Amino acid sequence: MKYIIITNNPLVRDTYKDKEVEFYDIKYQEILQTVKNKIALGHKILTHPLSGSVKPKETPYKSIMISKETVGANATEVDLESLEIIEDAIATCEKFKERSDKWTPQVLKDFQLVDFTLIDSAIDSAKV
Amino acid sequence: MKLELGYIQIKDIVFGNESKISNGVLTVDKAPIEALAKEDERIKSVTLDIAKPGESVRITPVKDVIEPRCKVEGDCDIFPGTIGSVKMAGFGKTHVCKGMAVVTAGKIVGFQEGIIDMQGPGADYTPFSKLLNLVCVFEPVDGLKQHDYEEAVRFAGFKIAKYIGELSKDVKPDTTETFEVCNFKENMEKFKGLPRVGYVHMLQSQGLLHDTYVYGVDAKKILPTLMYPTEVFDGAIVSGNCVSACDKNPTYVHMNNPVVVDLFKQHGKTINFCAHIITNENVYLADKQRSSNFTAKLCEMLALDAVIITEEGFGNPDADLIMNCTKIEKKGIKTVLVTDEYAGRDGGSQSLADADPLGNACVTAGNANEVIVLPKLDKVIGTLDYVNKIAGGNENSMRADGTIEIEIQAITGATSEVGFGKLTATY
Repeated sequence: MKYIIITNNPLVRDTYKDKEVEFYDIKYQEILQTVKNKIALGHKILTHPLSGSVKPKETPYKSIMISKETVGANATEVDLESLEIIEDAIATCEKFKERSDKWTPQVLKDFQLVDFTLIDSAIDSAKV
Repeated sequence: MKLELGYIQIKDIVFGNESKISNGVLTVDKAPIEALAKEDERIKSVTLDIAKPGESVRITPVKDVIEPRCKVEGDCDIFPGTIGSVKMAGFGKTHVCKGMAVVTAGKIVGFQEGIIDMQGPGADYTPFSKLLNLVCVFEPVDGLKQHDYEEAVRFAGFKIAKYIGELSKDVKPDTTETFEVCNFKENMEKFKGLPRVGYVHMLQSQGLLHDTYVYGVDAKKILPTLMYPTEVFDGAIVSGNCVSACDKNPTYVHMNNPVVVDLFKQHGKTINFCAHIITNENVYLADKQRSSNFTAKLCEMLALDAVIITEEGFGNPDADLIMNCTKIEKKGIKTVLVTDEYAGRDGGSQSLADADPLGNACVTAGNANEVIVLPKLDKVIGTLDYVNKIAGGNENSMRADGTIEIEIQAITGATSEVGFGKLTATY
């Protein structure tokens, strides 16, 4: 399946130069909102937004895979399942206390790696 | 087919010149263990220590906890497919070094590995504070990538646990317990009339550092399948999970899965425990749909009346939990879910990232956001460098007086989602 990765993780951007990656220098929850806006344009969400056991707002990084194709012919249709998944994720994210801006560079690198490994496992699946 | 577990109660661990088990005392010669660890050129050194229940000791960052076991009868190995041959396990005789564990530790990623306190309030939250722990702190060679470090520590832990387990080979067990399984035809005939109950066992499989292995295979790559429930007792399922200390299943928990043990206790009496189904928790949504479809199909094919579903982790796995629950319920099969909660520090928020009215029978293992203050302890095995950084800690976790304010999600096994803990609620 053709896909686009929406991310704020520089490691994902720098590693996947051969893939379609949209990088935004924004916060975790803003990535979720960006994906929600894409879903409103007819894209389907392909990976679970709350992947990883690192909690929202604890890690600053999030990468989410969406379909390149949009549902329907003229981008007026919305995949309701995708919308529900991202809205639930945004609601869950709001429960967590902000703390992701206090990390040392080494810990930030580790968070980037964990987010990268999660999206990398999805790339294997998307090849099917 | 039978598996007999022979329990050898370990009453003390000491270091000495010769590794042996005598009168319940395990003597450990450090040299062969260091040599085993260093068989892997990715490991620079291993430091061994002993932590006993009640001591003023904190172990952190904990990666895995493993119970030493040894096959004494049966043509199969401990940790099949991982460090043993890939032959089917779960029958014959196995010796178990009870009351102790091999604990692996190392700073693999700068957060997320857990804490085991051997004393004080933190000790009450982790089942592993009640064990005699042989702690192995691994240092990697310079420049090693985290996933290589994780793999090296994972394998070294199993090799050391097997080495200790083999010391019990000629020791007469203090007690034995026999688990009997049979094929489906025999099962249908023998336990006719009893409700057919299955166990849907969800395995963490989100990606590197969040993995579980079944006979050596990365669970991410399996389709849901059936096991004899005795197979886990020989280490058929092992943890490669570096994250989420409170609700990951260390290998020790897989080997002593309390859902399997308790279902066996009722098997042939109040229920017919006839299926152990394993499934995964991938991040790719189509994988989730495929796996939950297969799980529900297996439950239907086996004509189950009810299943218990356990999850591992939080967030993304909640979606798998609910998909499994709703699809199985829609086949007319009752489900009971076992999970933990992230309900905020006050416990007032929604507990799971996903929910459905069909998931109306649910057992909680506790609120991982609950805050606890851990006292300063005299000795640290590992390092406190990461306490401010592990999940459940924050920039103020390490206080000036040496106490630690932390959410219980940082404590290894605190909210075990297979119920391998002691948290209870009264009202």
